[in-house]
Amino acid sequence: MADAPARTPSAPAAPAGDTPSPEGSAAHLVLDGLVKTYPGKDGAAVRGVDLAVERGRMLAVLGPSGCGKSTTLRMIAGLVEPTAGRVRVGGRDITDAPVHRRDMGVVFQSYALFPHLDVARNVAFGLEMRKTPKADLKRKVAEALELVRLGHLAGRRIAQLSGGQQQRVALARALVVEPAVLLLDEPLSNLDAQLRAAMRDEICRIQRETGVTTVFVTHDQQEALSMADRVAVMNHGRIEQTGSPEDIYERPARSFVARFVGRANLLPGTAEGQDGDHTLVALDGLGRVPAAGEPVARGGTATVMLRPHRIALSPAAGGTGAVRGTVLSAGYAGETVAYRVRVGDDGPLLDVERPTGTQEPFGPGAEVELTWDHAAPRLVSDEDGDSEGSR
Amino acid sequence: MNVSRLSRAARSVVLTVLYLFLLAPIIIVLVESFDNATYLRFPPEGFTLDAYRQVFANEAFREGFQVSGVTAAATALLAVLTGVPAALALTRLRFRGRSAVEAAFLSPLLVPHIVLGLALLLILAPIPLTDTYWGLILAHLGVTVPYVVRTVSASLVSADPRAEEAARTLGAGGFTTFWRITLPAIRPGLFSGGVIAFLLSFDETVISLFVSGQNTVPLPVAVLQYVEYRSDPSVASLSVLLVLLSVVVVVLVERGLGLRRTLRSG
Repeated sequence: MADAPARTPSAPAAPAGDTPSPEGSAAHLVLDGLVKTYPGKDGAAVRGVDLAVERGRMLAVLGPSGCGKSTTLRMIAGLVEPTAGRVRVGGRDITDAPVHRRDMGVVFQSYALFPHLDVARNVAFGLEMRKTPKADLKRKVAEALELVRLGHLAGRRIAQLSGGQQQRVALARALVVEPAVLLLDEPLSNLDAQLRAAMRDEICRIQRETGVTTVFVTHDQQEALSMADRVAVMNHGRIEQTGSPEDIYERPARSFVARFVGRANLLPGTAEGQDGDHTLVALDGLGRVPAAGEPVARGGTATVMLRPHRIALSPAAGGTGAVRGTVLSAGYAGETVAYRVRVGDDGPLLDVERPTGTQEPFGPGAEVELTWDHAAPRLVSDEDGDSEGSR
Repeated sequence: MNVSRLSRAARSVVLTVLYLFLLAPIIIVLVESFDNATYLRFPPEGFTLDAYRQVFANEAFREGFQVSGVTAAATALLAVLTGVPAALALTRLRFRGRSAVEAAFLSPLLVPHIVLGLALLLILAPIPLTDTYWGLILAHLGVTVPYVVRTVSASLVSADPRAEEAARTLGAGGFTTFWRITLPAIRPGLFSGGVIAFLLSFDETVISLFVSGQNTVPLPVAVLQYVEYRSDPSVASLSVLLVLLSVVVVVLVERGLGLRRTLRSG
């Protein structure tokens, strides 16, 4: 009985009133200028969020705590009323629809299971609210529990379950009603590291199998990059950048994004002209470095991002023209060694990360040459969302 | 090792003395209730169950028991019906003057009952609700609702408010959410609050003295009136019976709730 798949990928949830969106795109969930201000508080919690999620895709909203990502999710669910802006699902404006008519599946950070009901009755709750006939209800609950691989625990009390199992019950409860959109609020933050990796794969599998359009909120960039089709990086109530995980990581538009999704060396310099589609930037101690990205006019200030793992180190040779530096510290971390390298005598400090096992590690004081491939340096914009509007 | 054994012995001695101190009046009453004298004395000199027979034969006591029983049951019910919404509003809503309302709900616990009794007499007399069941119930509500608000609030605070939100996202309206999710979560607080309200109302004397008359005489007032002119062991017997009643109610509820709790976790 465990081999029966609950739902086929070709049969995604089909909500009522689902028509093509007016834009004609495949966007299933559309947020249009969402704003939330709280009376008596300076600035807005959410300051104009525009997002579109295609049907069947998974979007991660990634940001530090307090950036407004949870408020955005709660506005989609209808648990928070937006001050301005619209929410559309399948072309239908649901901004004014009450929570219980929205057809959203929500998995809360605390799971919010019903402690007085057993596993099966927790999952059945949404179906009971929809007056699903008994036989259907039993079958669907069983299928949902199979989907999250908890079929054998249907009769358990919630208090008897582990954190990971509770997470699965919450997922099954949200999915069994075949919601228009699945919303996950920090779904993995209450699990320990090993379980988190396993659940990450589980959520991706379940999302693929059900084909449900999904938005999840997280502060963990690993989670966002590894799970989502698209990532929206949020800061101070605004979306800083939306794109594929590769876009976000390799081609961040702003220094905040570069820093938030991974470690980054951010080097200030001056633009000195174009070289093909690269901008030549004069950097202290590093000379003239070509960097890809949004071009900066000659003479303008430019910030160059260089990911630590894109920098290679080799023992200093006598050659000229190479960038040279001194290792200040080396931190062994199993799979990698994290170095701090002083460029030249009083040049910038660079973070460098090298995999272990490929070369003999350098000790503090070692003289090294730094090299990187042409595509590694990226121009990022320094303007921050918080410089405007917050005061 | 010696030290720990010594301290353990010291602790049990202290505890025994403490319990004796607390229970001594009840023990004396218990012993006295079996005395065969026609007046109260200590120590007793005989043994008989006459005093208990007298209690059941006493018209004033029987009526008082009925008045107090009806009043306490109605008070407990109404205290729960008003205390639960109050607790919900105080814990879940943010509104102007929330702390003032909260203070107002708890203030009857701070005002001496003699003051409350006088105030209630002045308010209820012109309506006129003195010497009626409704007057008693209203008067008792003031001092029992705070307890229900307290116990229900405690249950609400320990319950996950997200569970209610989850129910709503799953299609439950406001009333369904309350009935299916909130109410089961606050059931322990609701029961213990109701029981406390019942016992307090049954036992309430000072306020009852002010608002009762000849027609509705609650048991404690009946007892007071009795001992004004007579003092025989039947009062002691009645006290023992009342203590037993309280113990039975509390144990039953504790068992009931305890049983449910173990079912939930085990």
